Amino acid sequence: MIDGPVYVQRIAALLIESSVILVVGMAVAVLLLRGLVAVEQALERRQLRRFQPLVDAALRGDPAALQHLAATPIRHRLLIGRLLIEPLIDDRDPARIASTRDIVRALSLIPVADGYLNSRLWWRRALALRAIGLIQATERTAALVAALDDPHADVRAAALDALTDLRDPASIPAVVVRLHDRSMHRGRCAAALAALGSECEPFLADMASIDETHRFNYARALAICGTARSRPLLAEWTHDRRPDVCAAAFEGLAHVGLDEDAARLAIDALDREEVPVRAMAALALRGWRGPGDGAIRLARLLDDEWPVAVNAARSLRSMGLDGAVVLQTYGARPGLAGELARQMLWQQDVRC
Amino acid sequence: MLTYAFTTAWVVLTLIITVYLAAWNATQLAMSPAAAMFIWRHKRRNTNRSRAIVNYLSAAPQVSIIVPARNEELTVVDSVRALLGLQYEAREIVVVNDGSEDATLAVLEGAFQLVPAPAAFAEPIRTAPVRGFYRSIVAPELIVIDKESGGSKSDAVNAGINAASGTLLLVIDADTVLEPDALNRAVLPFLEDPTTMAVGGNVGIINGCRIVDDRIVEVALPTSWLARFQIIEYMRAFLLFRLACASMNAVVLVSGAFGLFSRDAVIAVGGYDGTAIGEDMDLTIRLQRHFRALGQPIRIAFDPNPLGWTQAPEDWSSLRSQRYRWRRGLLQSLWRHRGMIGNPRFGAVALGVLPYLLIFEVFEPVLQIGGLLIAVPAFFLGLLDWGYLRLLIVVSLAYGISVTLMAVLLSDMATRRYLRGRDLALLVAVVVLEHCGYRQLNAWWSCIGTIQAMRGQTGWGVMRRRAFGA
Repeated sequence: MIDGPVYVQRIAALLIESSVILVVGMAVAVLLLRGLVAVEQALERRQLRRFQPLVDAALRGDPAALQHLAATPIRHRLLIGRLLIEPLIDDRDPARIASTRDIVRALSLIPVADGYLNSRLWWRRALALRAIGLIQATERTAALVAALDDPHADVRAAALDALTDLRDPASIPAVVVRLHDRSMHRGRCAAALAALGSECEPFLADMASIDETHRFNYARALAICGTARSRPLLAEWTHDRRPDVCAAAFEGLAHVGLDEDAARLAIDALDREEVPVRAMAALALRGWRGPGDGAIRLARLLDDEWPVAVNAARSLRSMGLDGAVVLQTYGARPGLAGELARQMLWQQDVRC
Repeated sequence: MLTYAFTTAWVVLTLIITVYLAAWNATQLAMSPAAAMFIWRHKRRNTNRSRAIVNYLSAAPQVSIIVPARNEELTVVDSVRALLGLQYEAREIVVVNDGSEDATLAVLEGAFQLVPAPAAFAEPIRTAPVRGFYRSIVAPELIVIDKESGGSKSDAVNAGINAASGTLLLVIDADTVLEPDALNRAVLPFLEDPTTMAVGGNVGIINGCRIVDDRIVEVALPTSWLARFQIIEYMRAFLLFRLACASMNAVVLVSGAFGLFSRDAVIAVGGYDGTAIGEDMDLTIRLQRHFRALGQPIRIAFDPNPLGWTQAPEDWSSLRSQRYRWRRGLLQSLWRHRGMIGNPRFGAVALGVLPYLLIFEVFEPVLQIGGLLIAVPAFFLGLLDWGYLRLLIVVSLAYGISVTLMAVLLSDMATRRYLRGRDLALLVAVVVLEHCGYRQLNAWWSCIGTIQAMRGQTGWGVMRRRAFGA
């Protein structure tokens, strides 16, 4: 193909051979993968046709269907498990969860999950954790909590997902003490706290009393799951010398709601120097219709820094007559304050 | 004397081309394992349960979807309808009519009953004057900003950023159609990792797909060969290069068709640059540069599954102006950020990705066209070594096809699109045929784009749009 010394010809031949092998190899790989996908999809369709009606019937309480499923060979159990458990991601109906759990137990899938929990492969451990969480197998809470210390980050994430689905109060301490763990996914921690709800409150308060360093995290947590019970604690934290803690405390108060004392604190904080504190204090006053000059003080913030001004405007919109009067007054003014006031009034009208 | 000089130049050039081609193909093939690993890991991690996290949050992050629209009367209503149908609830849609000369604003007014509404927003980023601000009576989450043209997409997006109230900004093109769960998936990296500043996504080509009620119900290859060639190009770009970058946390391009950004991060770098031709690449590199220079950790994540779908041009002139613009954008971005190249302070972006772009993306078309141009006189002077030429053609064709087949393989792994037997036959034909003229034409356009960039030419050129499903 090419003229020249022998070594040049050898290189040329090598180049051609390697490139042909590469093309053929890649083409075979594409064909193989597509073939595998096609077989997998065909098998899945066939098994779906076979098992989906049985799964549906078993969930409706048909004992014959359950018996039929229990008699299936072990190699089909994982697919059946998937058909049973995957819909629970979107459908958290307690009755469906309970019946799924019963069927899963009857099919002896729990020992399979236990086996997966001890697997060397991280994705198997993660799969088992998520399945246990979705069916709310509370007898496995300890295993899920232990998985929060798994060396693999994705398994730890799956453990948090599972605890979120499980909603077992026994897992609260494990979740709360990991709020400061930067290796845990923030969003998943928030989801777990939201799922566990107000039952976290006492433990959060206890932890906060002995761990002042992480007060910011506790305040943020109470902003997710707190109730009026936490109000005094959050009000106390608004005096914290750290602005981020103070702002988080007001964010928490915005979530749990204000009483007269807390409202006074929020109104006073509208004059604080730190922008996040003023912004969160303005947010905390959303919906406040009690005593105090909150509306007038908020109005002064309408041409403040943008996050403060927006929160002040939104709070004014939610403050009933007091807020409306102030917005009307400011609506005639030029500049950012006037524009914000007009926008809030317009939105109020549209909502009405 | 002239013949001697030419012969020497020819020998040197052939040597350079040989070494260069070997290095280029080797680099591309080396990206494949990293990209395949990334897809495998992503599939394992992003389970259906992971994607459902936002449903479990008491307050999901508010996302402002910014849709810059200039002369988009054919597609904008469908796009907005699709956005209104997204599963993600904590979102507002900000359409910015950027001085359109067609009926973009009118069709929006008609379809969504827009009414003028007072609006206040801080202006951390300066833009061309805003003429009006509208809200929809039927869809309260829809805001339309009517502004004078600032001469760039960046200016329109900046106006949207100013009006946005979300902590996250999704910037898309007016002709982008999103997957229904695109936002649920895209916000995930922000929830997982506080250092996430942006998330890019794989963008599919909508040409040929069947759309019902503003949703893609069937993915199919387009009938136009031009669009088919671009499908292969998108596969290579999104599933080889960008995934390899993502696996090193060194993404330098979050596509303008789908990019989710932290609003604070975008404002920290001054928003989109109105003078940037490749505004998406420029912003991504500026984000990398800004946070790395401050020593702050930054992550720009990438989702290999299609999050959005966009129209590929099906006429030569639109494609040509798109390619001119892409080329000018690439060169401008590299020139502006040349100080980063090779600087270890900027990590893999500066040590791996930008040098790759400079060496291969910038010089490859120039070498390709240079080689072809010099081959003509070499033929007439009798200098052409036919054996060597045959070898060069066979080997480069084979390696090129291998790289593209690798991209198809990665696409099969990640997205499982175009799986029918007929699709495979067509894809293989496209893979082979694109080497017979299409790639050379692209290289030629890149050379013209390079000349335009050196002359300082700007502007977007004209893109002909078609209504979805048309």
